[in-house]
Amino acid sequence: MAYVTQVWGYRGLIGNLAQRELKSRYKRSVLGWLWSLINPASTLIIYTIVFGTIMRIPPPVAGNGELKSFALFLFSALIVWNFFNGVVVGSMGALIGAGPLLKKVYFPPECPAIANVLTVLIQTGIEAGILVAVMIVVGNVSWTFLLFPYILVLLMLFSLGIGMVLSLLNVYLRDINYLVGIAMNLLFYGTPIVYPYTLVEENAPRWAEIVVTINPLTQFVGASRDVFYLLQAPSPARIIGLTAVSFVTFAAGWAIFVAKSKDVSEEL
Amino acid sequence: MTLLLPDRRTTDAADVVVSVDDVSKRFRLYKDRSTSLKERVTRLRRSVYDEYWALKNVSLEVSKGTTYGLIGHNGSGKSTLLRLMAGIHRPTSGTVDVRGRVSALLELGAGFHPELTGRENVYLNGSILGLGRKAINAKIDEIVEFAGLGEFIDSPVKIYSSGMFVRLGFSVAVHVEPDILIIDEVIAVGDEDFQRRCFDHLYRLRSQGATIIMVTHSLNLVQTMCDNAAWLDHGELRAVGAAPDVVHQYLDEVNVVEAERMGVATTDAVEVEARSAHDLISIDEVEFLGPGGTPTRVAVTREPLTVRMHWTTREPIEVPLFSFAVESEAGVYVANPGMRTGDEPGKLPVGSGYVDYRIDELALGPGQYTFSVAAHDHSGTTVLDKRERFLTLRVQPGPRVVFGLVDMLGRWELPVDRGAGDG
Repeated sequence: MAYVTQVWGYRGLIGNLAQRELKSRYKRSVLGWLWSLINPASTLIIYTIVFGTIMRIPPPVAGNGELKSFALFLFSALIVWNFFNGVVVGSMGALIGAGPLLKKVYFPPECPAIANVLTVLIQTGIEAGILVAVMIVVGNVSWTFLLFPYILVLLMLFSLGIGMVLSLLNVYLRDINYLVGIAMNLLFYGTPIVYPYTLVEENAPRWAEIVVTINPLTQFVGASRDVFYLLQAPSPARIIGLTAVSFVTFAAGWAIFVAKSKDVSEEL
Repeated sequence: MTLLLPDRRTTDAADVVVSVDDVSKRFRLYKDRSTSLKERVTRLRRSVYDEYWALKNVSLEVSKGTTYGLIGHNGSGKSTLLRLMAGIHRPTSGTVDVRGRVSALLELGAGFHPELTGRENVYLNGSILGLGRKAINAKIDEIVEFAGLGEFIDSPVKIYSSGMFVRLGFSVAVHVEPDILIIDEVIAVGDEDFQRRCFDHLYRLRSQGATIIMVTHSLNLVQTMCDNAAWLDHGELRAVGAAPDVVHQYLDEVNVVEAERMGVATTDAVEVEARSAHDLISIDEVEFLGPGGTPTRVAVTREPLTVRMHWTTREPIEVPLFSFAVESEAGVYVANPGMRTGDEPGKLPVGSGYVDYRIDELALGPGQYTFSVAAHDHSGTTVLDKRERFLTLRVQPGPRVVFGLVDMLGRWELPVDRGAGDG
């Protein structure tokens, strides 16, 4: 608990680090913050063309009973993936990037990773806003949208727990960065994002089904699709499972970070 | 540099704010750091590293409201100790106990982001140093004013000159109003005027009860500003106590070491040949002799020194007029003692000898001085031999602090009271 209050005491720094990142990110580009929309939009378009139009992966019927859009089906999952990816990869860069500072001034080394979460949260907030707006336009709306913030909180804890551990490991062993690159690629396709989970159940071998099912991101993506696309509340089992996994991952991740980060300023 | 009259406070064990107890700090110097997995796997063992003890069993205490100086050579562990006090590193053994809010100035403007404006960076840096947004809002005008950046405050710091950069950094750091301010050799920034304001501000912080711990190479600063000091040498505590005593002990040793290091060789690399064609007499060598008559290259202010010039004559000549000129490091022409035209010029036979210039009490302040020597004929009009910037002398401060190039060698009398009334 002492660590929580200590980090809370540095909330001003966390906010400023996040601001610094946001303000400087697109500072010298002509389109500026529009890039934070163009980037996910381009991914969405490419995947929609490749997997929806060319490979013809069939999306299920949406919650309103008539909509059948691969792009929106994809978007409601991609939003989860983008957040997870942004937090995990961003944490590693954030800690390394804060290295020179950590050698000069004391502050909890968690701060850069937490600040990174804030910047990713803003990005995800924008994406969620667009998703909701589009859903309203196409008439696929329900109260279940309101469940998304809770899912996002769990996802944040889960991602940050993993991100903190990886960012610390990366300080001692810079290979982690590259390994994570490969792992993220694998994880992306090991999570039903560009394909529906039902496809795995129907076509994939047993082992692959098990792997995809126990992958926590599958459940996060499922929950996000539940609330945005299928307009149904996630099953209690899913919610309870995600809550447990998220809190345990976060607590374990932070505990490892606290235990191993005490001399991190010497290693950076 | 501002002269701050010492207002020394005595140590009171009751309000110790920084307590360093038997602290040692080991760093690992990796010979070939295996930060990549392949190396770790193929070697199947831990990285090879040397252990390096930056601090060994150091204990000291800093009392509330005092100013504490850490002195020692480069690599003596001063900065490591500051980092431990600031919480950046952990001691390998022993404990560092710090009570109060610490602001550590280990590098000015650490954390400034080049793309952000000065104002934005003030908020960022302020929060790094532990100041909240509201607190910065209340101080922003003062900070900007102190840094003296004018309109530049709203420009990205990447266009700042290095002077502007550190001024802003210092301004933020000192306005944090910490309980304990830790300063690592950063005051030597900016122009005279800015330095003066820095010292004024530090002095104000100090009078408000802040504790200041500083690493500095300026012994004058330690003597004028610090109450107590510690001398670190290769990670070990050599002396601790009242600042003037510690500085004095330090200087005693430095003078010895310096003399050894500089040796007693006479000619220097700075020598510029500008010798006269007259081949009657040549000045071959110049020596400095310390109080005991031993050759030295290091003198101490207010102590005796002899300048000895060795000469060789080719023909018997009238005694020439020897002289030497002293220049400060900055090129200031400090002194030029020379022989006067005498009444009865003696003769020098063919051969060699020396001539001494005896100083009972050296008036030169601490610093490095360059000596040029010359010999003129008896009338003083013809240069017989001349050696420009022939050798250098380092002058170390003695027990009494000297500012400026010269110690006036005087003493102050008690003030005289002329009595009341209008007479």
